[in-house]
Amino acid sequence: MAEDKELFERICNDLVELKDTSEMMIDLAYSSLLLNSRYLAEEVRLLEERVDRLHTEFELRVLSSRCDVEDVKGLLGLIRMGVVTERLADAAAEIAEVVLRGGEPHPVLSMVIQDADETVERVVVGEGSSIEGKTLKEARIPEETGMWVLVVRRGERWMRPRPETVLQAGDVIIASGYAEGEEDFMKLVGG
Amino acid sequence: MSEVERVEYTPVSVRETLILMKDISELMIDLAYSAALFDSRELAEEVMDLESKMDSLVYVLNMNLMLAARDKDDAESLAGVAKVGSLTNSISDAAADIAGIVLNDIGIHPIVREVFQRTEEHLARARVAETSILAGKTVNDLDLAAEVGVDIIAIRRGRHWMVNPKKEIVLPEDVLVARGTASGLERVMKAARGEVDKLG
Repeated sequence: MAEDKELFERICNDLVELKDTSEMMIDLAYSSLLLNSRYLAEEVRLLEERVDRLHTEFELRVLSSRCDVEDVKGLLGLIRMGVVTERLADAAAEIAEVVLRGGEPHPVLSMVIQDADETVERVVVGEGSSIEGKTLKEARIPEETGMWVLVVRRGERWMRPRPETVLQAGDVIIASGYAEGEEDFMKLVGG
Repeated sequence: MSEVERVEYTPVSVRETLILMKDISELMIDLAYSAALFDSRELAEEVMDLESKMDSLVYVLNMNLMLAARDKDDAESLAGVAKVGSLTNSISDAAADIAGIVLNDIGIHPIVREVFQRTEEHLARARVAETSILAGKTVNDLDLAAEVGVDIIAIRRGRHWMVNPKKEIVLPEDVLVARGTASGLERVMKAARGEVDKLG
């Protein structure tokens, strides 16, 4: 029984990560397109490899769970759900590929203002930085720097920015915005 | 099986169509997951409606792209646009597959509910009460994303759905589908039901 519970727990964790990661990839893929950012596009590709691995592990775990005949439909639902996250991740990766293919993308693809001098920046939250230990809402990054947080990466984990996300030293914050906000952003986050 | 409609050429702005498709596809993912979470056929059918709308949009987009190409340089850069359009459609197809799990009674495993409780983003829906502080204001004016980290992703008014509402005014009896943090959603849902007189 204890084994079943552990397996249930693992399947659950896998699906949470598949769902969160695939949705974040779509956000990042569109952002890479809007900003014509090869850097963001590369990140999406890295995430795609991760999702592929995770998805295989997830399917193996679901298939290895012992179940009664009544449970089979539920397990099929789980597997289909996993397949959807994998397809979402694939679509995101292919959108990123349009950016990586190079050349000047068609103007309609950059759905932001054409002459805007927008950039993507990444900064590591410094030890003793004024925003360390604060939530994203308290850190007031957009208000102070004009930069918009796209993603927070903590080691192997990628998190979509949420107002209540507590920032730790070592977190990598990836943000987009006008070039003039860059320096303020580096200072505020890097400490 | 629903009817497959013939799609006629209409001149549209490629840019606006792409943005619309992107918005619809993202909304479909949220609605499809909501359908699974609430095991709601009604929401799942809404996803399927949006899916057929997307299929027509891709056709119209591609027709407009073909007419826009004048030389090989155009063709090269427009191919990327067509690719993005078709991928946006793939995203909506994936969302429709989630709705299919609900509509075909394949079964929502208890793990799925558990997963939704643990993901960073949550989904909720509530009917707007006569006395709600949200009633009478536009979605933009409510600015729930900034206030409490919640987005209203759809409003159902009777049989009519407004997806990704912005300038729409929230009315009593509307059903709101929202996405956001657990704590933010709880506040918004309470406000919708008229149980509190301020959001904070």
